[in-house]
Amino acid sequence: MSMRTQILSLSTAALLCASVATAQNARPVAFTNARIHTVSGEAIENGTLIVRSGKIEAVGDDVTIPAGAKVIDASGKTIMPGLVSAWSRAGLNAPRQRGNTPTRGGRRFRGQARSSSGGGRTANKAATKVIDGLYIRQPVFYDLLEVGVTSLALNPSGGGFPGLGAVLNPAGKTRSDLTQDDEAFVQIGMQRNATAKKLLKDTFEKAKKVVEEREKPPTPPKKEEPKKEAAKKEEAKPAEKKPAEKPEEKKPEGKEPPKPDGKKPPQKEGDPKQDPKKPAAKPASKPKPKDPNLEVLADLLQGKRRAIVQIDSAADLLHWRHAVGDDVKFPRMIAVQRHDTRSGTMDMVVDHLKKWECAVLLPASLSTKPSSSYLINPAKSLHDAGVEIGFAIGESAGSVRTIFYNLMQLVRAGLPADIAIKAVTHVPAKALGIDKRTGTIEAGKDADMLIFDGDPLSSTGKLEQVWLRGKRVEKK
Amino acid sequence: MSLAKTHTRTNHTTMRTSTLFVLSLALLSALDLPAQGRGRRGRRFGPPPQQAPAPEPPKEEKKKEPKEHLAIVGGDVYIGTGQRLTGATVLIADDKIEKVGHNLELPEGTEVIDAKGKCVSPGFVIVEGSGMGTGFSGPYKDTVNPFDPSIKQGLAAGITSFLVGSTSSRGRVGGSNAVIKTHYGDIDGMVLVENSVYGVSVPLQISQKQQLKDQIKQCRDYLKAVEEYPAKKAKDAKAKEPKPPKGADAVLKVLQGKAKLWVSMGGGGMGMFRSMMGGGSSASDLDKIREALDVSRMFGRGVVIQKPMSAWMIPDEIANTGSSVIWSPRTRAAPDPKDPDHTGSNLAQAAILDKAGVAVAVTCPSGRFGGSGVGTGGILGQDLNTPHIDAAYAVRGGLKNRKALRTITLDAAKMIGVGDRIGSLEAGKDADILILDGDPLHYGTFVTTAVVNGKVVYEKGKEALFKHIER
Repeated sequence: MSMRTQILSLSTAALLCASVATAQNARPVAFTNARIHTVSGEAIENGTLIVRSGKIEAVGDDVTIPAGAKVIDASGKTIMPGLVSAWSRAGLNAPRQRGNTPTRGGRRFRGQARSSSGGGRTANKAATKVIDGLYIRQPVFYDLLEVGVTSLALNPSGGGFPGLGAVLNPAGKTRSDLTQDDEAFVQIGMQRNATAKKLLKDTFEKAKKVVEEREKPPTPPKKEEPKKEAAKKEEAKPAEKKPAEKPEEKKPEGKEPPKPDGKKPPQKEGDPKQDPKKPAAKPASKPKPKDPNLEVLADLLQGKRRAIVQIDSAADLLHWRHAVGDDVKFPRMIAVQRHDTRSGTMDMVVDHLKKWECAVLLPASLSTKPSSSYLINPAKSLHDAGVEIGFAIGESAGSVRTIFYNLMQLVRAGLPADIAIKAVTHVPAKALGIDKRTGTIEAGKDADMLIFDGDPLSSTGKLEQVWLRGKRVEKK
Repeated sequence: MSLAKTHTRTNHTTMRTSTLFVLSLALLSALDLPAQGRGRRGRRFGPPPQQAPAPEPPKEEKKKEPKEHLAIVGGDVYIGTGQRLTGATVLIADDKIEKVGHNLELPEGTEVIDAKGKCVSPGFVIVEGSGMGTGFSGPYKDTVNPFDPSIKQGLAAGITSFLVGSTSSRGRVGGSNAVIKTHYGDIDGMVLVENSVYGVSVPLQISQKQQLKDQIKQCRDYLKAVEEYPAKKAKDAKAKEPKPPKGADAVLKVLQGKAKLWVSMGGGGMGMFRSMMGGGSSASDLDKIREALDVSRMFGRGVVIQKPMSAWMIPDEIANTGSSVIWSPRTRAAPDPKDPDHTGSNLAQAAILDKAGVAVAVTCPSGRFGGSGVGTGGILGQDLNTPHIDAAYAVRGGLKNRKALRTITLDAAKMIGVGDRIGSLEAGKDADILILDGDPLHYGTFVTTAVVNGKVVYEKGKEALFKHIER
């Protein structure tokens, strides 16, 4: 008992400390004479930046410093938004295990099917939350924060519809601290084979039907009849087409469609055999259970969610059009895992990309012309054509450290420097749906920022400080 | 008319060959192949014909959308059936050839490519291909890579279509393949048809042969039943619709003429291994050829015999079954003087077969390290670059120039089951066209422009491959 009181008192002490820290935070901090890459607009020379209570209070070249502010002279320094990583599987694998790399297998033999660890190749698992597979106690998140990643995506791996991606707060120590948004986006993976294409085609068709059903003229709330019809229609087809669909993905209805619960097995009441024989259940009075996976995709098609679609090459993009078509529209960003010169880099299908009006997340490197060593800059080509580009910044501290060097090369090869900076901050933030909060240096946004001594893209520029929500990140 | 002319020109040939030739002409007309034109140098003499003797397609102009027209004007046009029109025009509407002839009236807004002083030929058709945007297995429409750089390499070599995949299945009729077009950047344009060819390899074991016979009989019975079904149904409303025999889809398709049957000389003993190691197949394969002809007779249809070394010894036997031959004139095997059975290869094989009326398609020798056919699989992939030179080896063996062009165009297209779609510049066919800076079979010739499905997909001056070579 006394033990417990001790713990209690200790924890109150800790709480007190924390409140003291926040109180300190309440004192505004003013950076003066800094060069500020706002990303939202032009860079500001000799700018002033006020941070209070974790937020950016003001930014500009004629900002009055509030009374009592702690003034930091930042002459010679550059301030830019913290890096946003929209492609990462950091923490998904158990620590000390190899295989953390985003490209599984890298270059493949032609004709060889791509393997995928997360499944989803033959089933729609769109409602599975990737966060449920996270190993929390890992140094990798803090390591990433130290080198400048202030927001971090967690992408489910696998082709087809492997699940819902999350956004992490890299400073978090517990699952809840770490998780900023456990269903930030729908991950979709395009693969160039018959099975994957069929899955994409069939699933989107089913999701479209769900949308049609939802968009029917509103009848008195919870009217049974049309729903049943819908469920019948929607189930009759899949049942004959895809009896392989795994029963455990069936979630009981009653759950709110936009908030489908992930892999929680307790509610596995939809008995496994029932699935393929849906039409037989006609006389049953209770409405058919909705497929949460389809509900997620219906949300997506209605614009209530966003997606990150992995399409690795121009050829794969054409196959996507072949399978899914252009008329299936939803908010998305395309993520390219590597420049595949033998299947075409993305700048070769720029017209289609423009039609889709989506950003493209590229590897932060130059590519080559096919079968040659002539360097090309797909990022620049896409930017010049009016396509918004972002860069994958890696998922280990090592790869993030080299991101500015890689950006420098791309800028040297013609990409505007401000676009390069935007491509690792604002663009990925938009893809993750956190752009209202972070990704630029604007009044009202979280004070997630990096302070460089010198130009971030220059070899002499050095990352001196990382700030996360108005707090300087301490080195371990 | 052109037939008669050709015949008079061949008067100097011996009695025997002329009879053979008459036979071949008879066969050609029987096969409804437009015969060779007015001899090798015909262009220099006589006035140019007014219009290509292309069959006019049934006019069914729906006028939905205005067609996109492209015209290749002023070139020496090799129709692909053996004829050549000097200074003619090829008019393309969307993805099909609309007209070929002289002084064509071009619709408004036609895009014109000037081909004066150049040759215009059907795109080359390769009967055994690999690579060029394809993987190792089907379904090809879900796996083709339309941005594969080797597609451009194939186009630079004049290849606009090729058969890819397996055409043999040991012991029974089978295979999985597709005719692929080198339509760079367009996946729908790349797959022309899947499984237009099935294969079987000889020699067959007795049981396999019996199984094949049974399947053929079942399929024949089925086809007969299908034919009689409407009459039966009229009499008896309860008459059951006949069902196709199980496991004999390939045989059925071949019997119906929906797919070609290839017979490979691969089976048996060390043959496969030897041919893989670059030694060619055994120096005499007469027995296997005769077995292939047996198979042909079983089906009552001509088959396509793959690379028969000794076919030149029995051209008439092959001609009698209506079969055709795939051959690589570069393949060499010396006769063994100590063994009368080892008769070796003959450079004149293509010419001899052609005289007997056997259609020949040219491919390249098997690569030493397993690469078979035309593709990137051979040594450094160089087999990809010279299909026209392979055909020219047949000319060296005595085959007429324009006949040799057929071995990599129309006759090749027929052997992969798409003779009605590609292989010649006739109205209604797919617009797969090459503009060349010289005679199509001359070794120094380059493709300057390649058109696939009516779209310009290769221009020598724009691709790094041969841009720097001037002629």
